[in-house]
Amino acid sequence: MPNPPEAPYFAARTLHKHFGGIIAVEEFSAELRRGEIVGLIGPNGSGKTTTINLIAGALRPDKGSIMLDGRDIVGMPAYAFARAGVGRTFQVPRLFKRMTVIENLIVPALTDTRTSRRQAEARAREILAFVRFEHLADAYARTLSGGQQKLLELGRSLMLRPNLLLLDEPFAGVHPRLLEQIVEHIRTLSAQGYTIVLVDHNLDAVRSVVRRTLVMARGRKIADGPSEQVLQDPAVIHAYTGTRKAMEDHA
Amino acid sequence: MHGTFRPSHGLQALLLLAAVAAPLIVGPYWVHVGALAWYYALLAASWALLAGYAGQFSFAHVAFAAFGGYGSALLTLRLGLPLALSIPLAVILAMVFGALMGALVLRLSGPYLALFTLAIAEIFRLMLVAEENVTRGSLGLEVPGLFPGGSDVPYYYLGLGLVVLALLAMNALLSTRVGFFLRAIREDEHAAQASGVNTTLHKIIVFVTTAGIAALAGTYYGHFVGILSPNMVIIPEMGLVIAMAVIGGIESLPGAVAGAVIVYALSEILREYGEWRFVLLGLALIVVQRFAQNGLFPVVERYLDRRVAPPGSAPVEIENARKMEGDYAKPS
Repeated sequence: MPNPPEAPYFAARTLHKHFGGIIAVEEFSAELRRGEIVGLIGPNGSGKTTTINLIAGALRPDKGSIMLDGRDIVGMPAYAFARAGVGRTFQVPRLFKRMTVIENLIVPALTDTRTSRRQAEARAREILAFVRFEHLADAYARTLSGGQQKLLELGRSLMLRPNLLLLDEPFAGVHPRLLEQIVEHIRTLSAQGYTIVLVDHNLDAVRSVVRRTLVMARGRKIADGPSEQVLQDPAVIHAYTGTRKAMEDHA
Repeated sequence: MHGTFRPSHGLQALLLLAAVAAPLIVGPYWVHVGALAWYYALLAASWALLAGYAGQFSFAHVAFAAFGGYGSALLTLRLGLPLALSIPLAVILAMVFGALMGALVLRLSGPYLALFTLAIAEIFRLMLVAEENVTRGSLGLEVPGLFPGGSDVPYYYLGLGLVVLALLAMNALLSTRVGFFLRAIREDEHAAQASGVNTTLHKIIVFVTTAGIAALAGTYYGHFVGILSPNMVIIPEMGLVIAMAVIGGIESLPGAVAGAVIVYALSEILREYGEWRFVLLGLALIVVQRFAQNGLFPVVERYLDRRVAPPGSAPVEIENARKMEGDYAKPS
């Protein structure tokens, strides 16, 4: 049965994850409409990446549910999340380094048994054109610069035409000129209707592409709303300044 | 580049031709050595698939060979099955055992996988020693031969045929999408999962395939040598197989075969030096690791194919991007 238009396209409900005695994520809930792009920010150690790992299926939550397009996908293995339409990038790019750029792109496409090698390669060429890597198709991934590795990983995450795209710190450690390029790519993807969650510490860059921002602190979601409003929220300011003060005290 | 002839393909054809012609030129002693080298070649090549292509550094490979050898022998001796049945049955049982082990080690990698599989191999060896009533323990289990007469030539050609068949089968597997996924798993298992690769299934596939080839090697060895002992599972035997694959080329199946033949032949040539020959082999392993990390065979292949443009060359755009990014984003 098709999902009614008013129902959320993606919904995480009361996700909870602890590692031993440490609570990494507690009662995290969020809903996204189809085609929406949101920022997920928070100080270091606030649980952003754990949340991304839960939504991507890389970690199994202790409790809670994850609905994507009307289907509960929680508990499935990570590869099944990817096939169900959850695409992701990693904080530090995780490429198949001793494979060429085009081989990196072909791997996800071939996981669909209906896709032939020729079709996989054709899709990879489309993505190469999107990230402007046509000339790098036969270069080994390990030879790429750091920024190029981020772009290749973004390209690889698009190969399965994800319903939900999770971008974990795509701007971290990227040269300003490449950052502009990545921002432009994310805007294009959003305009094309991709549903995107964007995690990053670069608040200016995040604000430039999203209207809605979620803020996490100490494993909990503490704010969710229009970016300008959220960033003025005293609880958010306290979470950031409190952390900074704690770090300064520690130093 | 499937279907494109490269000079290195000519080298492989030439080596195969030399292997076919060798018994016509050399004496019975070297035919015997060659027939034994095929046992190691089967093990080294299948271990190269497991470790070099799929990144699963298992130390239980020789245990699967023993499983095949003892399995086939015991099914014949104790249950009276004909060899035509006991050999495939032993190989299938080893593949089932390989699937179980693959499932057990799913979450292990690197040193943890190595230690776990080492423990499995050692447990299996001790079982062979302890179960004297069944296996005759350290006394050794006598195994019936495959061919009448005392000549090693039929075994030599059987071994060579098995090596060629195993290489063809493994190459066929690698040329499918499974080969792609195995390389992806070797490079980064989490990234492979995030790309939709069922890593569990593919790890089990590679364990089952390589366990089957190792078991086949073990049955060949048992029926050729005529006696099996738990010593075929000792750690130095596994070390020898690893050295062969690494020296020849851990990411090259024909390289691992060449490595096995060269190392085994060298260990025979240097026999008069006793244990010192293994010291020399150890040194050779260190030198190869230092100067040709992917083994000697790929170096020779690259030299022969130097006129054919290699994939993976870094164009000037990468250098430019690196210069522009400077310290912003160093490749990890």
